Amino acid sequence: MGVELQIQTESSPCEIKKPLLQIYKLSKAFPGVQALANVSLDVFAGEIHALVGENGSGKSTLAKCIAGVHQPESGQIFFNGEQVNFHSPLDARLAGIATIYQEFSLIPSLTVAENIYLGRYPRTRAGFVDWAKMRRDTLAVLESLSLTLEPDSIVGSLSVAEQQLVEIAKAISLDAKLLIMDEPTAALGLRESRRLMELIRHLTQQQKAIIYISHRLDEVYQIADRVTILKDGKRIDTVSINALKMSDMVRMMIGFDIDQHYPKEHNARPETLLYVDRISTENGVREVSFDIKVGEVFGLGGMLGSGRTEIARAIYGADRIVSGQLILDGKTITCRSPKDAVAQGIGMIPENRKSDGCFFNFEGTKNITISRLVELLRGPFLDLSLERKYGEMYIKRMSVTPTALERSIQYLSGGNQQKVIIARWLFSKARLLIMDEPTQGIDIGAKLEIYRVINELTANGISILLISSDFPELLALSDRIAIVRNGRVVEITDANKLTEYRLMAIASGVSELEITELKN
Amino acid sequence: MDFLRKISRSTLIGPLGAFLLVAIIVSFATPRFLHPQNLANVSLQVATVAVVAIGATLVILTGGIDLSPGSTVALVTCTLAILVKNMGLPLPIGIFLVLILGLFCGAINGFFSSYGKIPSFIVTLATMSIYRGVAFLITNGTPIFSVSPALEPLFYGKFLGIPLPFYYVVVLYSLAALYLRNTISGRAIYAVGGNESAARLTGLSVNGTRMLAFTFSGVTAAIGGVLLAAWLNSGSPNYGQELGLQSIAAAVIGGASLVGGYGSMFATLIGALTVAIVQNGLNLLAVPASWQEITLGIVIVIAVGFDMWRTRIFQSIRHLRKKTPVDML
Repeated sequence: MGVELQIQTESSPCEIKKPLLQIYKLSKAFPGVQALANVSLDVFAGEIHALVGENGSGKSTLAKCIAGVHQPESGQIFFNGEQVNFHSPLDARLAGIATIYQEFSLIPSLTVAENIYLGRYPRTRAGFVDWAKMRRDTLAVLESLSLTLEPDSIVGSLSVAEQQLVEIAKAISLDAKLLIMDEPTAALGLRESRRLMELIRHLTQQQKAIIYISHRLDEVYQIADRVTILKDGKRIDTVSINALKMSDMVRMMIGFDIDQHYPKEHNARPETLLYVDRISTENGVREVSFDIKVGEVFGLGGMLGSGRTEIARAIYGADRIVSGQLILDGKTITCRSPKDAVAQGIGMIPENRKSDGCFFNFEGTKNITISRLVELLRGPFLDLSLERKYGEMYIKRMSVTPTALERSIQYLSGGNQQKVIIARWLFSKARLLIMDEPTQGIDIGAKLEIYRVINELTANGISILLISSDFPELLALSDRIAIVRNGRVVEITDANKLTEYRLMAIASGVSELEITELKN
Repeated sequence: MDFLRKISRSTLIGPLGAFLLVAIIVSFATPRFLHPQNLANVSLQVATVAVVAIGATLVILTGGIDLSPGSTVALVTCTLAILVKNMGLPLPIGIFLVLILGLFCGAINGFFSSYGKIPSFIVTLATMSIYRGVAFLITNGTPIFSVSPALEPLFYGKFLGIPLPFYYVVVLYSLAALYLRNTISGRAIYAVGGNESAARLTGLSVNGTRMLAFTFSGVTAAIGGVLLAAWLNSGSPNYGQELGLQSIAAAVIGGASLVGGYGSMFATLIGALTVAIVQNGLNLLAVPASWQEITLGIVIVIAVGFDMWRTRIFQSIRHLRKKTPVDML
């Protein structure tokens, strides 16, 4: 697959300039896998260049080769016109390449200024830390980015979005010319994402180059100038974003056509499963009422912090309900803890899979059966061979990789982990499944599988309470959507009568007029 | 190749390696080590630590730590001596009562470190001091000797020519292993230690599980206390000083992770044996006590270190052999 180095003159916005970063026929293999094969790429100053592809397509490996984390086996990297050979991330950093990872490298107990100048505090002549200078310099950096953060704030007290901004400020203070951002909005809400986008655009005005890695194609369309699509370690194409339809991009990424991006089936039945009757909690859920039908996907739409997660937590017994009631199958139920909710046939796919969902000390089977161990009892003891049979059955049914039978699920991909957790609730025979951001951070192929699973679940009469920040996804998957703002349900509508813009408008409390403007 | 990968993934390789290494070194250093009489001695020496380490492992598996069993042991020996010698209660009743006492000691630890939301390190640091203090209080600080003629045979007795403590260890470890592997609450102990938040969201009772583990630890400490009392036919507030740390050492050498969720009963038993052999070997060589403690520390570092480096060591072996698929990219 000898892809020649080519600059697409007609589509590039920077055709007269020389590229800031040039990659020529880069290859990298790990034992058993050719992670990158002859990949060529060029990135210009002032350009936002998106890298897209499924998990395992090589985009992270490519980013890590550029950032000096991995050393390529063959191929050349030219940065600023010179051939470079980074042996460590520090080399790359010194040359002016900064990477902003999903997991932050900030120290929560230190201030913004201390974090930005970590390991290189300015000194006075006497050799003490020059706090005044550090504060001044920090202010200057923050100002250059038009950020309104306080240099003295403790980083741990900032929101995730603000921490991300600090991370970027840190990179800028190091005089980075190229910023690599790996899923920067994965943990952000819509408004915060938008703010980040503005900042990124601002950076391009300062002639910084950005390599932007994301699973969220809508974002890529919002921000990128050009996009490079990788699949199985090979470059499929590099195109100007204006010249590419989203469906074509998806096809290039997964290698086959999907008729519909979201293969939604409508399986809602007339009977009501759960009636939520004017529930309120101490943490801001106010008089929320709605009902979920059997086999329905009921979406909760809202901005981050709107109270949608809190509503789900209240139903699940994780937060206390101070007034109102839950009626399941016509009977009032009380869920004082998740234990009660599980016993009532409710299951939860938590937003943060790693910290709230996975047992990394267990292989797949034990992760599945943990939700209903009573099923395995023979007398007082667990029947381990029966457990294994169940494990094989569910892992096959959810088409999880068979590795899950033998090894800890820490070795599985995000999509496979998510399917193991869904299988857990299939095994517990849950009738209502609360899914909080079920497709966050997993690749398109795995997303499609999750959509397929949702269809299968609802066809079997399982109801789903879906929370997603990905509004197109929420709209496409839900039968009905309750829009949440400030802990209240503002509106309940059929999903097919709602557009993304209207959903966003109502959820953010912006007048519809303003939103129509934003659309254009 | 498959075999190699299995070994590299087996969590027993580190503990077994450390155990064999120590055993080989000791048997070369002193021929008396392999003498049947001495091996019988080792099995006596290992019994108390091994029994106490059962509870320590359960607590460590939930992600907690129990520093207090040594003090519980002391309190149990004193109480048993007072109940049987001073108050004249029949020995079986005395033993039954001190087991209940151990259960309470453990339950107190468990209550405060689960429902009370105080870190278990702090709770058991406090009760370590309190339980021993109570032992001093009830004995006025003086050991009570010759508790009961019926007590010693519990430790020195033999069945089919094998000392009784051997059977205690085998039976208790089998029960504990069965509990961990094949019961719902045993599985919950692993789950809570592996991911507390996920355990709660899956509907397990996190506090209940923690409480149970500490209670078990109190009971095994009490059994250890009865064994120690029988061994020395006495009760003293100074007994068991080193047992708390040794039991944790046994679990850790056995590969239990202090973060919780990783470890097994069999591995802890190997760890306890390693600790006992180090002590026995150094005793035979007439090494002063200070050096024994230093050696034990070094063994802990080597055993745990090998476990941590294991993955990398085996990876480099595989790299030398080339051609192995790495299935975790």
